[in-house]
Amino acid sequence: MNDATLIRKNLFRKRLRAILLMVSILVAFLIFGVLGALQNAFTAGTGTAAQERLVTVNRINFTVALPYAYWGRIQQVEGVRNAAPASWFGGYYQEPQNFVQSFAVDPETYLEAYPNEIVLPPEERAAWLEGRTCAIVGRALATQYGWSTGDRIPLMSNIWQNTDGSQAWELDICGVFDDTEGTYPTNYLMLHYEYFNESLAFGRDSFHWITINTTDPALNDQVSQEIDALFANSSAETSTTTEAAFNEAFMEQFGNIGLILTWVIGAAFATILMIVGTTMVMAVNERTREIAVLKTLGFTAPRIFRMVLWESLLLSFLGGLIGLGLASLAAAAASGALAGFLPSFGLSLTNVVTALVLMAALGIVTGLLPAYNAMQVRISEALGKI
Amino acid sequence: MLKQTTAVTLLNLRSIPQRWGMSLATVLSIALVVGVLLGFMAMASGFRATVDGAGSDDVAIMLRGGAMAEMNSNVSRDDVRLVEIAPGIAMGDDGEPLISSELYVVADGIKRTTQTRANLALRGLGRHGPALRPQFDMLEGRMFEPGTAELVVGESVLREFDGFELGQSIRLGSNEWTVVGVFSTGGSVFDSEIWADLGVIQNLYDRGSSVQTIRARLTSPEAIEALSEYVENEPRLNLEVLSERAYFARSAGGTTNLIMFLGWPLAFAMAIGALAGAWNAMYASVDARTRELATLRAIGFGGFPAFFAAITEALVLAFAGGLVGAVATYLLFDGVSASTLGSGFTQVVFAFAVTPDAVVQGVILALIVGFLGGFIPAIRAARIPLLAVHND
Repeated sequence: MNDATLIRKNLFRKRLRAILLMVSILVAFLIFGVLGALQNAFTAGTGTAAQERLVTVNRINFTVALPYAYWGRIQQVEGVRNAAPASWFGGYYQEPQNFVQSFAVDPETYLEAYPNEIVLPPEERAAWLEGRTCAIVGRALATQYGWSTGDRIPLMSNIWQNTDGSQAWELDICGVFDDTEGTYPTNYLMLHYEYFNESLAFGRDSFHWITINTTDPALNDQVSQEIDALFANSSAETSTTTEAAFNEAFMEQFGNIGLILTWVIGAAFATILMIVGTTMVMAVNERTREIAVLKTLGFTAPRIFRMVLWESLLLSFLGGLIGLGLASLAAAAASGALAGFLPSFGLSLTNVVTALVLMAALGIVTGLLPAYNAMQVRISEALGKI
Repeated sequence: MLKQTTAVTLLNLRSIPQRWGMSLATVLSIALVVGVLLGFMAMASGFRATVDGAGSDDVAIMLRGGAMAEMNSNVSRDDVRLVEIAPGIAMGDDGEPLISSELYVVADGIKRTTQTRANLALRGLGRHGPALRPQFDMLEGRMFEPGTAELVVGESVLREFDGFELGQSIRLGSNEWTVVGVFSTGGSVFDSEIWADLGVIQNLYDRGSSVQTIRARLTSPEAIEALSEYVENEPRLNLEVLSERAYFARSAGGTTNLIMFLGWPLAFAMAIGALAGAWNAMYASVDARTRELATLRAIGFGGFPAFFAAITEALVLAFAGGLVGAVATYLLFDGVSASTLGSGFTQVVFAFAVTPDAVVQGVILALIVGFLGGFIPAIRAARIPLLAVHND
């Protein structure tokens, strides 16, 4: 019988108690994992690619349009490799409740700006560039509404009015796009800016933002200053930031989600820390006499210290790993259901590493005091207690 | 029997301090569960109170059909004229219909807490606009003069955002404005807005003579039927008519549901964790008194008093936890001001509200945790064999 066996036997000597403790640890890590996945979904738009792209919007606010002519002038700015204008379409399908995230874009420059986010088969790509009434749809959105290539759909806008008096634009679905690694959302639709613009009843020849790729990310600061300087003191001043900063600022508007999640995770961990901590102290106190016997048999104090610490670590990792496993299953199940609403819902490597560190910390913190107590057990006192 | 039960229960409760570690852990863990639940509920009900409180039954709001939200709506000057002669609309003292055509645009404000930019609603409204908000009150300064670049700000804007103090001049986009007044609408969503003259907004934001919405004071809440019928039968109008209350209820639903969809499962999961803790604590409590309980059995006490005493102990701990959680949440969160992006794509400032109703639900959750956690250990207490007297 080696130490490991002894640790395992000690942990499960009261099986129900061990299981209950594991359940509460499991729940804490389940919450940690699911909320971590949620936070990833909220910060999805701030990845490295987004840090290298710039986005220009109206300085008043991104919901206020910019004149069409700005596109040409921005393309002239030194260091700009590609500039892709886009407008909110505010689409819905059949009923106003069926919201469809949709933008009117210039196809060629938009595809150039987002090579990893939008991956189309070559023939569908060609079809989209050719066909005026063509639109492309993300995989997740296409699945949601059961659309496939070749369908013709009327897409209603809750913002714009068509010159024919309706709010609908007739669109041919020419392609369904994916992303390269399954890391970017595919829950939106894009139509031709020109087709959209020519039949607008009002607000023609304007767009809401321009995505810019520079020739070298090192030039980003310089380029954004130059663009904003270009339109300073005009009727529509611009604000140019990295796409990541823009997305982050937008998510900030929902409130400090990170802070709320931290509070909840903190509460969950405070709970298990107290429960597991007091129970471990009690469990070791119950064994005072046994520990005295072990000492009598020649177990050194440091060895006993280590054994108790390993016991609480084992408990922490057993509960924690199962909880984390359940969280990733839950995240995988939820990401299917939430694809249209909260894409990129999943656990990241950082989440997993943080969880492992937390498990170790929990095991050590809850094990230290009982381990110290165990080490301090004095044979004469403990065995004299009878 | 009753005497026995009381005696054992008291014995049990008085011995709680001997097991203070486990007992305290149980109380605090249940307190945290209740705290999380109440925190989310306070957020949801605070938001709902702000948005729902804005809508009254005797104000009708008209948007372009299919627009769903004010921001997307577009209503022409001709439409406004047609609505002015509609039935069911109350008349002001001056004999004019109480109608306000309104237009709001989004402006950037700087949040005090995070120093980040956030969308604010800059609403242009007509002369009757304030009269259509119940509880409208000018707290400081005066109303803006029509035709000038003057602003009045809601008290929530003043509280949450930088630079809107009375007398301050502020740049929104490319225009310079002066703050001439601070108003309150009794904590409703309008307190999160900035108001200015409709004509000035139309001009500066290049909107011609078009507006987004028409609000009208109805002669009575029932008069909306007459108004709807008129609008429907008027072929030149493509407007959706609904009461302001219905409009705001529709737009508050999404956010409050989202908060509650997150809050309940989280509290539930944490409750399972706390349940395991309570169960453990009660087991420890029963274990510690095995000998004592067996002795009681030996001198003629029944099993029920032991069961009852253990359950009571669990419920007392849980109740204490529930109360601690509720009081702590109340002290920490009640009245705390926060803001989030509302349906109009602009910030809605609201205050966390810990309601009595939520406290009751929190305490009930705590008691359920206590009962479930204490039940099986209590059965065990009732079944301790007499021979356990000889345990060490």
